[in-house]
Amino acid sequence: MAEVFLVAQDLHKSFNEHKAVNGVSFTIHKGEIFGLLGPNGAGKTTTIRILSTVLDPDRGDVTIGGYSIRDNAGAVRSLIGVCPQELALYAELSALDNMVFFGRMVGLSGREALAQAMNHLELMGLAERAKGKVNKFSGGMKRRVNLAIALMGTPELLFLDEPTVGIDPQSRNKIYETIEALRDKGMSILYTTHYMEEADRLCDRVAIMDGGQIIAMGTPDQLKSQIGPPEQVTLEDVFLRLTGRTLRD
Amino acid sequence: MARALLVTIRETRAYLHDRGELAFSLLLPIAIFALMYGAFGGESMFHGTAYVVNQDVDGAYSTRLIERLDELDNLDVSLLSWPEASAKLRRSDVLLVVCIPEDFSARLTSGWPTQLVFRQRGNGGDEGQIVASLVRGVADEISQEIQVERQVQRALVGKGIGQEKIQTTVQKLLDREREFPIVGVSEETIGTGVDPVYQFLPGIVTMFVLFSITLSARAIVEERRKGTLERLLTTRLRVGELFVGKFLASVSRGLLQTFILLALAYVVFQIFTPLSFIQALVVALFFAAAGSALGLVIASIVRTEDAASWIAVFFTMAMVMLSGTFFPIPEDSILYTIGKLSINTHANVALKTVIAEGGSLADVGLELTILAGVAVVGLILSRILFRVVPGSNR
Repeated sequence: MAEVFLVAQDLHKSFNEHKAVNGVSFTIHKGEIFGLLGPNGAGKTTTIRILSTVLDPDRGDVTIGGYSIRDNAGAVRSLIGVCPQELALYAELSALDNMVFFGRMVGLSGREALAQAMNHLELMGLAERAKGKVNKFSGGMKRRVNLAIALMGTPELLFLDEPTVGIDPQSRNKIYETIEALRDKGMSILYTTHYMEEADRLCDRVAIMDGGQIIAMGTPDQLKSQIGPPEQVTLEDVFLRLTGRTLRD
Repeated sequence: MARALLVTIRETRAYLHDRGELAFSLLLPIAIFALMYGAFGGESMFHGTAYVVNQDVDGAYSTRLIERLDELDNLDVSLLSWPEASAKLRRSDVLLVVCIPEDFSARLTSGWPTQLVFRQRGNGGDEGQIVASLVRGVADEISQEIQVERQVQRALVGKGIGQEKIQTTVQKLLDREREFPIVGVSEETIGTGVDPVYQFLPGIVTMFVLFSITLSARAIVEERRKGTLERLLTTRLRVGELFVGKFLASVSRGLLQTFILLALAYVVFQIFTPLSFIQALVVALFFAAAGSALGLVIASIVRTEDAASWIAVFFTMAMVMLSGTFFPIPEDSILYTIGKLSINTHANVALKTVIAEGGSLADVGLELTILAGVAVVGLILSRILFRVVPGSNR
């Protein structure tokens, strides 16, 4: 078994009276894609914000690469890359300028940032549009730039928050291939999505959250086998069985 | 701090790449300057029109009066009929009309006094009062000339000199006296004039720099809306560096726009020396810094761009009002005391000192210190108030 890279222990976070995260614990191993699934309002985004040092937990701690987010958030930030659900880009700048800028922000020199930016744009199939302004890009291209930025600085742990929302199958497939290639190179990935078949294809393990708690965790097959033969059950069946069919806001 | 500068450079590049915003922000000072030029760029001396109803058509003295008025450099004469003058007065198109009565020349020729009539709306307005004063001056002059002519004629009665010759000779002497008066008046200008440009340019500059409050107030909110704020703060960029970067970008932009405004004033109105121009820019820099820092305080507490804009506009208007930028506030009033809290007040004082009074930066040391203090305190306060997301300690 690969070494543990992230340890989240008994995380709690409340906003006023609302408990957004309520005792969440899990680990992510090196080179593992860990899926964090859950309906809207389950606490996934708050959890990712805690893990990525944006929010401090009320209770509990997270260590990433041996560094605590409470005591050494700066060191943690040097190990992580974040691809938020929103297209967190400067639309008025080119893809290359966006990547170089964020590269400089993670501590790369100008030359390193430029070299990495070109590599990652190549990886995403965007090398030819490197100097094109992002606001002229299609939704799929923007998503790929959004992911490419998260790779700047070659992080050891990548947070991908619904990276394939609203894009065409070609772009989605390209993103899948990229994520699998990154995993093969030893990068750890925390992945959230609402597409269950996507989680089934990519994730080595998944945790299903609801009401701020993890209500199930294991490999996709382990979870599926809880309700039937894995080859006849989908992850979506498991998800709906555990979280119910009531609409969420 | 290098990352703060990178944020500044990115902001500035984005600003320069956005042609719409660039054109707007560069054209705005030019447009304001054009308005200023339109308002103050013409003659600063009085120039008006005397509207005259001459009922003494072809009268010698009425003709002389009109010619003399027309000879004045700062006065044009417009002859109107009585119905025209009445209509214009009724519509307030003109506020004062000079009426020369029908028997004006006849009475003067006969040695009887006569009167011009000023018909006016209210007090005739500023221009009307000045025109009335000029007309009175010319009437007095003609009156004195007539008296001199009569006295000379009386003194020469029975000397065998024709009346026409007396009149011509006296008129020549009077004309020479008017051209080369025995008691003349010369003008000496002490210091700079009370040109409206000097009076209002500081106010326009400070009001313009206050726009930087709005710009910096929106800066953080825009990042939040785009999602780039959260992404940036998962990198090595510290919140303090982000704020310094935004602050420097806002100051640079405010200073660039002010530079355009002042440079145009320099070239067109020629009111600066190279030194006073640089000093005015230094004051503008300190003021832009104070304004940008206040903008960041707003940015750190608001959640929407609309809220940022409205709060910034409110502060801008309040500061313009309280600082006496465009109208004086009595020194013994409570508003004057409250106005001391406005950074605009101190920037106005500093700019007026270096632009209109020929003062140096040393003379405005107190004002610059206050502006610098506001900039530093504003930056620190904005950092203390800021939260990346609700519930965050960062």
